[in-house]
Formats: sequence, structure tokens, C-alpha cells
Amino acid sequence: MYRYDAIDRAFVQDRTAEFAGQVVRRLAGEITEDQFKPLRLMNGLYLQLHAYMLRVSVPYGTLSSVQLKKLAHIARTYDKGYGHFTTRQNIQFHWIKLADTPAILGELAMVEMHALQTSGNCIRNITSDPRAGATAEEIDDPRVWSELIRQWSAIHPEFSFLPRKFKIAVTAAPQDRTAAKLHDIGLLLRRARDGSLGFEVIAGGGMGRTPYVGPTIREFLPAHHLLSYLEAILRVYNRHGRRDNIYKARIKILVAQLGAEEFARQVEAEWEAMDRPSVDAPDTELARIRGFFNPPGFAVLPPKSEVFEGAKADPAFARFVRNNVHAHKQPGYAIVDISLKAPGETPGDATADQMDAIADLAERFSLDEIRVTHEQNLVLPHVRLDDVPAVFATLKAIGLSTPNINLVSDIIACPGLDYCALANARAIPVAQDIATRFADPERAELIGELKIKISGCINACGHHHVGHIGILGVDKKGEEFYQFTLGGSAAEDAEVGKILGPGLPANRVGDAVETLVDVYLRERKDGERFLDTYRRTGLTPFKEAVYAEAH
Amino acid sequence: MKALTANTLREGEVVFWNKGAWKLRFGEAELFEDDAVAEAAALAAVNPTQIVEPYLIDVEAAEDGFAPVAFRERVRALGPQNHPQHGKQAEGGHDIEVIQHAHGVARSAGRHNLIKLKK
Ligand code: SF4
Repeated sequence: MYRYDAIDRAFVQDRTAEFAGQVVRRLAGEITEDQFKPLRLMNGLYLQLHAYMLRVSVPYGTLSSVQLKKLAHIARTYDKGYGHFTTRQNIQFHWIKLADTPAILGELAMVEMHALQTSGNCIRNITSDPRAGATAEEIDDPRVWSELIRQWSAIHPEFSFLPRKFKIAVTAAPQDRTAAKLHDIGLLLRRARDGSLGFEVIAGGGMGRTPYVGPTIREFLPAHHLLSYLEAILRVYNRHGRRDNIYKARIKILVAQLGAEEFARQVEAEWEAMDRPSVDAPDTELARIRGFFNPPGFAVLPPKSEVFEGAKADPAFARFVRNNVHAHKQPGYAIVDISLKAPGETPGDATADQMDAIADLAERFSLDEIRVTHEQNLVLPHVRLDDVPAVFATLKAIGLSTPNINLVSDIIACPGLDYCALANARAIPVAQDIATRFADPERAELIGELKIKISGCINACGHHHVGHIGILGVDKKGEEFYQFTLGGSAAEDAEVGKILGPGLPANRVGDAVETLVDVYLRERKDGERFLDTYRRTGLTPFKEAVYAEAH
Repeated sequence: MKALTANTLREGEVVFWNKGAWKLRFGEAELFEDDAVAEAAALAAVNPTQIVEPYLIDVEAAEDGFAPVAFRERVRALGPQNHPQHGKQAEGGHDIEVIQHAHGVARSAGRHNLIKLKK
């Protein structure tokens, strides 16, 4: 993992001290709310329905045990004993008091964490593959590049007041676990024929009110030019982005209006004219960063483990392995997904005790590392096969052994109207209802991969546009209604879902999902996932079934 | 009918106005029959070191009491549905039960002029 150097440390401490001063002045009435609000937002502090919410950055979804224990401590001391992992691979605390915030930021700084750039029109936390450094699929470690971008973008003066917020994803595996094509910039690591590293650069993707799958604006950018090229993109955006209209201010609108080709042309022109060596990271700096992501002392082990194979005699363990355990690049190791989606629970929530227990597991069994996924789950990236049964037993004891990764009950849901000041409708209770209906693990496995994603408003924090089944809460004359979309995907085959039909009232949503699943089971052919069947049949059979019942 | 609500500056806690003081429960809110009186109260209640974002909400008679019209305001007055032990609902009481059972009340967006866009 990356460790702060003296500059990082001093910078975070300075910012913490600065904000502490601002809070004191605000509480004393020396600055007004209008003056203070942008300052608190720059430090990740929002005012929501019931309290302040603090959004803490988890850089590219990577945590150490000590950091997770600190988050548990914050949940216990300053919140109501839990935290909420988000689709941005961050964590939010929903019951924070303004007066406590400086102390919390001080605690975070002690473990090299902060809440900077989790809000505002700046470059936000970099999204990356939760299996980075563990999967054999990747051609390079995307964390190296994510960290480079993090350092470059941290309070970058030129990009601190962009037209709108800006999100970048980096992935290096053919299977995209970052939703790269739905980011403002998606960077896909590629290797050229001559073996050199580079990026396919995607720009102008996004969800929200106007969803776009981002187009490729450059097929292959030599890797060492990454920062200058990003700078060129951001300059073009900073210059032409629609600051006059908040609904049109994201880069996706600019790219769509100019066309990908023209946008790319302007970026290339900017890039050609730029003093690139002054922006691109020198090889020595890249090597220094890369050093932090060297393989973390794997043991030399046989590829098969008798302990692991023997434990599969327990059907519950075997099911957990089928759904939550994945191949590791190092023989004798596995990647273990921890589902934060036990049916009936709040998607993405973990209690302080659970966080502590997971941190202990990581310390003992996963070389001290934990990852956060954009699907609101956690990952122990480096577990010896021999240890998987012990990890499973502990997860079971703390209620986190749900074997449902990528299944129907592994639902993404934003906080929605239960917390969020912008919401139109509730999202969490909808997810709880659906997951409870599909709580039978055998049935869930028979249904297979099915990604349901729920947002409480058009801002799409719950990624509904790219759900195989997407559910969006809308306000229809003051009532909660839910609009369904089908056929979305956030993966390498990214697509924005199509609207099924008129919105449904809250009490019809669960039944509608069951109907959609029934239609899929009726129509599916060998080996088809829900998404495959939908792509073959189109909307019609699904639509007919859902709206036939509605009448 | 209207009530005046805000969040406290220090804690972010939901509060309701009643004759010069901020109260923690919706059941303690002053209910204004007259919109002009409500608006005057909203202006008078601004206290920059005590509360943030004061605004008026619509209130209607519900069975055996009163409830905010907007679903959003009911959530604020109660707490999140996924954690019944959190928020005002944890304390229970008659005013809480009235809101919890206020399904018959028509909903409408209670908070106008709110730009619903993420920051
Ligand atoms: S999608 Fe809307 S309701 Fe959900 S968290 Fe985002 S802004 Fe809030």
C-alpha cells in the first residue's frame, strides 16, 4: 500500500487544522452559513435530513487493517455505530455533529486518511479495480496509476473549480469492475505489441440526468504521458464546460455536443502545445510509487489446498466458495468477497463491530489489506486457500457470510429518502424488500448473475442506469414512484438501460421484480444470464408481463 | 397549515419552531393557520449561530393529530426507516405514531425552490 511521505502528512494535517479553525469561527458566528457551506463541502461534510454526513475518501478503494479499525472507532465514537460504503468506494457516516468534525478529521489524519475532494467541483477519489494486485487478469497494477493521479489531482490549483465534479477510473483487467465507461474519464491499461504500457482513454461517460457510455478518444496513450494527457483533457473541459447551466456542466455534455472526434482533436491540439515534460511524472517518481505496490510477501504454496477442498463438504461453505471466492494470481491464494448485502440489511452498511472483525481478519489472513468495491461490498484480496474456511467461519459469526456476490440480492442502493436531502424516494427499504424475497440462496443461485441497482433520485448514486434491472425513485405529484430500466451494464459491455414503461407505486416494485425474474426464467436459453436473455428478447416480454399484472 | 423547521448548526439535528424556541419533536411544533404569520415567524427565527436552512413545511390533520404533508418531512420528523432505533422515532410517543400512521394524508413536495442537484 501507499504510505504518506512528509509532504502528504503535512498537507493533510494543515488542512485539518485549517478546517478546525473554520468550524470554530462558524460556531462563533464569525462566518455565515453561506460562507461556510463551500468550506465544509470541500472537507466532505454535507448537511442531510437528520444530521451532518461526513464522506471519507478511501483512495481507489484500498484500506489497511489499521485504517478500517479507525473507521470502526469513528463509527462507534462519533456516529451511531455503523458506516455506509458507497458506490464511489468511499465510506459515509450519517450522524455526524459539526462540532465533532475537526476531531474526526484529526483521527483520520493519524491513519493517513481524509475527506478532501469527496465533494465539490474538483477531481474526486479515483475508482479502481478492487482486485488490483491480486487478479491474474490484469496487465499492470492499476493502483500505481491511481496513486499517481491522486497525487497530481490533490488540490491541483487549476482543477479545484471545474465546471462540475470530475471522476476518473483506472482498470487493467479485461473484466471491468470499475464502471470505467461511466466515468468522466475511464483509463483502460493496455499493452502494445512491443510490450510497452499505455492507456485506452475514454472521456465523457456518466450517469445522472443524462447518462452516456463514454467514447474512446484515444486508442493508445503511452503510459508515461498520462498526466499531461489528463491535463489536456481537463483544460479543454475547464475552458468549454457549461458553467452557465448546472445540468449541462459535466464533461459528458461537452463531449456529446462537440462529438468525440472533435473533442479528441481539441485535446490533442492542447496536448501538442503543452510543455509535457513539466507535467508528466519522471520515471524515478513512477518507480517510487510502484515500489509501494510490490507484491506483499506471498508465501510459496501449492496451487491446491486440501483443507480448502475438504471444507467444501459443508454445502454452505461450498456455496460461499462458488459465489464469493475468486482466483488469485498467486498459487495457493484466493480473493474473498465479503457481501454487505445480507437480505433485509441496508446495502453497504457495516457496523463498527463488523469493521473491527474484518480488520482483524485482514491482519491475520489477508496481508493486512481490505478493498471496497463500487458495488458496496468489501474484499479480502490475499487469503491463503488454507485459511478460507477460517475466514468463512468468522464471517458467518458476524453475519457477513452471505453467498450472493453478483446475484439478485446483491443490490446496490443509495441512501435515498431515508437520509439524503436530494432524494425523491426511498431506496434502502426497496432493496431490503427485494433481497428478502430472494433470500433463499438456492433460488438466487438458480437465477444466476443479476444486478439490481436502485437510486432515490436522478443523480444516480445507486447506478440505476447500468443495472441489469435499474430502479429509479421519482416524485410523481408528491408520491414515491419507481421507474424501471432494463438491460443496463456497468461492465466492459457498458450500456444504459431502457425504460420499461410508466413508473410503479412503491407497493408494486417487489412484485414487478419477481415478474421480471419469472419472465427471464421462462425465456432463458442454456447458460444465459438475465442480461443475455434481455438482449436477445428485448423489452417486450418483460414489459407485457409487468404491465399485464398492473391492470 | 404550516410549521417551521430547520437543522441545528452544531449537531445538524431536526428542530421545529414554537413561539421563540426550537423544539426537538414535531409534536411540539407551533402550527400556523395563517401563511403570512408563518412567513413572519420564519423571518424572525433566523439565528445564524443556532440553526441552518430554516423553511416552512405543509402540515395537515391526520387521524388523531397532525402530520407533515410531504413524505420527506415525515422522514425528517421520524428518522430513517431502515434503523427504527435511530432518529426521533426511537423515543416513540403519540405524535410519532400519528405520523407513522398518516398514510391517508395526501403527499406533496413540501419544500419548494430547492434545486435538487448534487454538490
Ligand atoms: S441518487 Fe439521489 S437520493 Fe440517492 S444518494 Fe444520490 S442524490 Fe441522494
